[in-house]
Amino acid sequence: MKVGKIIKVSGPLVVAEGMDEANVYDVVQVSDNRLVGEIIEMRGDRASIQVYEETTGIGPGDPVYTTGEPLSVELGPGLLEAMFDGIQRPLEEFRAKSGDFMTRGTKVYNLNREKKWDFKPSVKVGDFVDEGDVIGTVQETPLILHRVLVPIGVKGTVTGIEEGEFTVVEDICVLDGEKKLQMMQKWPVRKGRPYKKKLNPDVPLLTGQRVIDTFFPVAKGGTAAIPGPFGSGKTVVQHQLAKWADTEIVVYVGCGERGNEMTDVLMEFPEIIDPATGESLMKRTVLIANTSNMPVAAREASIYTGITLAEYFRDMGYSVAIMADSTSRWAEALREMSGRLEEMPGDEGYPAYLASRAAEFYERAGKVICKGSDNREGAITVIGAVSPPGGDISEPVSQATLRIVKVFWGLDHALSYKRHFPAINWLNSYTLYQTKMDQWMAANIDKDFAKNRAKAMSLLQEEASLQEIVRLVGRDSLSYEDQLKLEATKSIREDYLQQNAFHEIDTFCSHEKQNKMLKLVLEFYDLGMKALENGVYLKDIEKMPVREKIARSKYIDEAELDKIDEIIKELNESIEKLIQEGGILDA
Amino acid sequence: MIYMFKVGVIGDKDSVLAFKALGVHVFTVSEGDEARKMVDTMARDNYGVIFITEQIASLIPDTVERYDKEIIPAVILIPSNQGTLDIGMRRINENVEKAVGSNIL
Repeated sequence: MKVGKIIKVSGPLVVAEGMDEANVYDVVQVSDNRLVGEIIEMRGDRASIQVYEETTGIGPGDPVYTTGEPLSVELGPGLLEAMFDGIQRPLEEFRAKSGDFMTRGTKVYNLNREKKWDFKPSVKVGDFVDEGDVIGTVQETPLILHRVLVPIGVKGTVTGIEEGEFTVVEDICVLDGEKKLQMMQKWPVRKGRPYKKKLNPDVPLLTGQRVIDTFFPVAKGGTAAIPGPFGSGKTVVQHQLAKWADTEIVVYVGCGERGNEMTDVLMEFPEIIDPATGESLMKRTVLIANTSNMPVAAREASIYTGITLAEYFRDMGYSVAIMADSTSRWAEALREMSGRLEEMPGDEGYPAYLASRAAEFYERAGKVICKGSDNREGAITVIGAVSPPGGDISEPVSQATLRIVKVFWGLDHALSYKRHFPAINWLNSYTLYQTKMDQWMAANIDKDFAKNRAKAMSLLQEEASLQEIVRLVGRDSLSYEDQLKLEATKSIREDYLQQNAFHEIDTFCSHEKQNKMLKLVLEFYDLGMKALENGVYLKDIEKMPVREKIARSKYIDEAELDKIDEIIKELNESIEKLIQEGGILDA
Repeated sequence: MIYMFKVGVIGDKDSVLAFKALGVHVFTVSEGDEARKMVDTMARDNYGVIFITEQIASLIPDTVERYDKEIIPAVILIPSNQGTLDIGMRRINENVEKAVGSNIL
């Protein structure tokens, strides 16, 4: 192929001429160091290339080699437990080759070419296979059975199939005597992998976080955004979701955030044991890291790399969650490239196509029927963090995101300042999956769950307006009923919504436990009201010793949920006793 | 129809017995719990005015406060035979201040 010549270098953007054979979005190799780059604009024979590595020392006149291929990821066994950079180069192997920091031009394969995997075929010679069909499986980790799929666009009759130990590039299957299949396949990152049919998401994603699961649930196959100012706990929420979300695969994209946050993931995840399987959570996790000190152009790609890997696992029939922390850094990378391309800037300097790019990314989420003749169902749930400067969500990235996502978890600086974690503001957050999730809850957990949730939420809303009165004239001027309401909402906030991510038991809360705890805190309000009507003094209700137990109910082990029922019983008895003793009984 | 309310007085025996001469219902109590129940029962029992000695009232501030917010019954603090604790007068002064903005008494 023709070799181009660099005429301009501007940070990660390189302009080369003599590129008339190349196409937009082709991968190129820049200079004799063979730095990986991607063409993002073509004008005549001039190509603008974003380079995914440091461009220091490159100058006009250096060569540019085209590969004629779009930026692709390699899909096959070996993805899980690994950590990749923005263009899917394995960081572990990078380190073995070039030390703790990345060196330019290091050539590593995305997937390990030497490692042998135990391949078990699931088709026989003579079977007809269509695109997306499973031809065999590899037990990649004890948790995940890697299904090897017929690549998209390929079909035929199996004329040869192997069994045993193979590397990802060895032939394992032959179709029609000529098409050879390997365990590894390639897919361009900017193109969504096809599926048969998109389904309506109707099953909630259990995250184990009470405020999310109860009040603002996200469906499997849904999209959610977590905007929040600095230090409000976005990363902790993302980590919690990555740890506890009941999906089979988790893809965690650390995009432009601090390196130590990825270190936290690497340190913590292997130690957390999945209660269902007894295996480490790392065995279902793929990490993609483009930390703030890594090349900015690769940040733009890291999001696409992540979602493509997620789609690959979805196509195997798994439910996948992808966390992107943070999409604001990704948008800033777009802005930087757009500025260097001298495009007309939109709001706050972000490119005019910011909204469409964000939509493109989030639209790749969804619950689908995968390609393949067995009609597997797979789902991708996308959860993106947004870091609006100053916490003001009227900025373009937050707005572009909110237009697309269906769940909004607004983190609040005031709450995190009060040490209320997770600092998700219950007044301005929302979910558009509520009706569907309520139906699921009614069918699977408790038919009263939706009613209780609505009641707790309306109490919390009333509290907000009562608090305004309290600020003006003081708490004592409220009626006893309103004072009890404040007391009950305090209990909802502190005993229910607050959740300690670092407490052994409290870090995860199942649907059943949430249901019981919610009942418990609401029972306190109902019974308290009844006692007040019967003339019991508010102070006596507030002083009940059983309240201590309500506050500690979150620390009750999942195996001992009956204890919550006992507390409800004790609460009933205490109130009954108060009415007998202190109340005025109707004669 | 004229709605008739009753008038009662609560306190230690020595202080309140004389009220009987005025036709006021007299209830003698000696401790807080008893007084609390007494006030609550009377409030339900169609009493419009409840006099209560300051000594007893000082034991049950919650109960006195509870009826502050209600029109009926009016709970009025009176000195006992051991003299005044000045709670009753102070409450009146506070109410006047709230009503007219300054203490005009």
